[in-house]
Amino acid sequence: MFAALYAPSLPAAALVDVARAYTPRFEQLGSIILLDASGLSRLFGSAQELGEHLRDALSKQSPGDSVPRVAIASTQTAATLLALGSPGLTVVMPGKEAIALAPLSVSVLDTFEQVHGCSGAPSPPASQRTNTRAPLGGRHQGPSPKPQVPSPDQTGGWHHPRSTHQASRGKRRAPENRLLEILTKWGIRSLGALVELSGPEIHERLGERGALWQSLARGVDARPMVPWVDEIPFEAALELEWPIEGLEPLSFVLARLLEPLADRLERADRGAAVLSTSLRLTSRTIHSRTLQLPAPMRDPKTLRTLVLLDLESHPPDAPIDIVRVFIEPTPAKVLQWTLLERAQAAPEQVTTLLARLRALMGETHVGSPQLVDTWKPGAFTMSDFGSRISDQLQKPDRSIELKAALRRFRFPIPTRVVVQEGRPVRVQTDRQGFTSGAIVQAAGPWRTSGNWWDTPGPRMKSDQKSDAWDRDEWDVAMQDGTIYRLVVEREVGQWFLEGVID
Amino acid sequence: MPARAAVEALLRDRKLDRTLTSTLPERLGEDAVAPLDTDALDRGLAGGLPRGQVSEVVGPSSSGRTSVAWAALAAATRRGESVAIIDTFDRFDPPTAHACGLDLSRLLWVRGQAISKTSGAIDPAWLPGVRAVNGPGTFIERVIDRAIKSLNLVVQSRVCTLVVIDLIDVPANALRRLPASTWFRVERAIEGSDTAVLILAAMPVARSAGGRSIVMENREPAWKGDHDRSRRMAGVKAQASVNAARWSHAARVDLSTTVLNAI
Repeated sequence: MFAALYAPSLPAAALVDVARAYTPRFEQLGSIILLDASGLSRLFGSAQELGEHLRDALSKQSPGDSVPRVAIASTQTAATLLALGSPGLTVVMPGKEAIALAPLSVSVLDTFEQVHGCSGAPSPPASQRTNTRAPLGGRHQGPSPKPQVPSPDQTGGWHHPRSTHQASRGKRRAPENRLLEILTKWGIRSLGALVELSGPEIHERLGERGALWQSLARGVDARPMVPWVDEIPFEAALELEWPIEGLEPLSFVLARLLEPLADRLERADRGAAVLSTSLRLTSRTIHSRTLQLPAPMRDPKTLRTLVLLDLESHPPDAPIDIVRVFIEPTPAKVLQWTLLERAQAAPEQVTTLLARLRALMGETHVGSPQLVDTWKPGAFTMSDFGSRISDQLQKPDRSIELKAALRRFRFPIPTRVVVQEGRPVRVQTDRQGFTSGAIVQAAGPWRTSGNWWDTPGPRMKSDQKSDAWDRDEWDVAMQDGTIYRLVVEREVGQWFLEGVID
Repeated sequence: MPARAAVEALLRDRKLDRTLTSTLPERLGEDAVAPLDTDALDRGLAGGLPRGQVSEVVGPSSSGRTSVAWAALAAATRRGESVAIIDTFDRFDPPTAHACGLDLSRLLWVRGQAISKTSGAIDPAWLPGVRAVNGPGTFIERVIDRAIKSLNLVVQSRVCTLVVIDLIDVPANALRRLPASTWFRVERAIEGSDTAVLILAAMPVARSAGGRSIVMENREPAWKGDHDRSRRMAGVKAQASVNAARWSHAARVDLSTTVLNAI
């Protein structure tokens, strides 16, 4: 059951106040307020009594002699159309919507579209809007036999089909009213007449919009109700009596700010997508930090930990006067997990772990490695852990043989190499813990080069580092059994230990 | 005897009886271990690395210990698990690991400090984005301390089901100076969970009561080609001795690793 309130003389805020006094579930459609009246009968009695309550409440607010309109029907479309087209209080029993709507002028559909905007009534393609084919044949030709209704001036607001038609004659009509013009030319002046037309034929001649108008004329809802939501920003601030220094006292302040915000997020079924912290310092500067969260989350402890860990890495340079927290909400993530795979860790756990590790090891030293499209030995980039997990699992159906791993020295170790007949025979390095001595066996050279087209030239800036390589690789076995990957940079002739095969 | 029963009941109430008067119930089924998908090694390990326990792979240089650890990581990612490697001295090579079958998108890589030149001192300008390692103790000790802290954070979060800590290049004296409580804390953190911890080192470090020790030995490089010009390295043959606290004798496994063309 829905109730529609329409009082053009009242500001929208007053209408919202009236609606809020009856139910938290209401929707504002321009100058019309639509209430979800389901369950209100326990408080206000029958639909008729509820309607009288609403009418009286509106009358108290309305200035002068203007009469507010209240309509109650089982569909929101019927209630809205009746509030737009009928004065006073109208109560329609379930199943009687089409009969109640039949005498209304078709122009009320135009008004309905205007109050709904584009969401309730999608505008048709241009080709359909300019469709001016002949009227429908058969018994639907000519004006509707339904009795006409009194003029709006006499009845306090009835939409008279003929008067609307006359008023529109001679004026330049907007493209949106083209459909109304066509219907008027066909002699369709009431909703009852529009309902009696053949559905497929009206779709053929007037397109989607024509079919939608016919459906609305029957009182059928085109979309569900979208209840009003108070748009209060998820923001909290606290001005401190004494400036605080250090993160430990700040954690208590953050807890006090974040816990109510997390409660509000839960009530609104939202999660934090972006968490901004703004600290006004005693030096009159603002220290702002913004965290982009990888998944919507609203656990206050997690949010507080993330802010604190971030501030640990980027501390303010003066004591804090005012703490302000702002959360950008986003719909909470709903995931359907599978029972056939191992459960993954919650995003809150992963984010907190990464933040702790980054605070300990450094920003660039935590994450997942990602290969890059190059032949350069050892090339990779770092990406966020958990951001690009592949869904394809490759379960082996047989035993997999061990592949030799390479332990790469991130900074190759310069070494002295004795070469005989073009082959390395002895390695000498000053670095502790590395084997020096004669080479027992060697395989190579494996020559690779690349990015030589990027070598420093006149166009390359002096501080720009060349990414080119040109080298020979050797696998050499030492006397103690260690196997090194040995590399010689061909341009300079310098030998390096690049890694150990292990 | 009534006094003893009362003490036991009190311990049971406080959930402190597990290591004193009884043992944890043994995990059953295939989920109790993390297999390596290598038949010989899985047989030696009695199924795989036990979950909720600390195991270790030790051995000399080029004996295949890193290959075993990467095989364990690759097998876990093939099962859809998230894994982590605490890389104390930043020795991990992503292209080779990918070629070994490791799904890098499921790997959390915690990179330690790569040591440059011949001394332990590090020039921050060499490593942009890396925080300076300050604090008491030598540079190496501080780097190890960070790696251990990272390991604790990862195992406590329960995000990853297999965590490998690479201590291979840690000097023996620095390794010996680590207090025993370090590993007790890790054992306590993963006890009863799905997480298996694998220590990768040159010498035995620690192993929990239910964990396994894989000792690599008798390594021998394998070559292909008779002539100097045509010779190439085929792989490494080694023997692994797998041991556990409750086993009467160690299991011996013959292993051979293959050198990939990609490296």
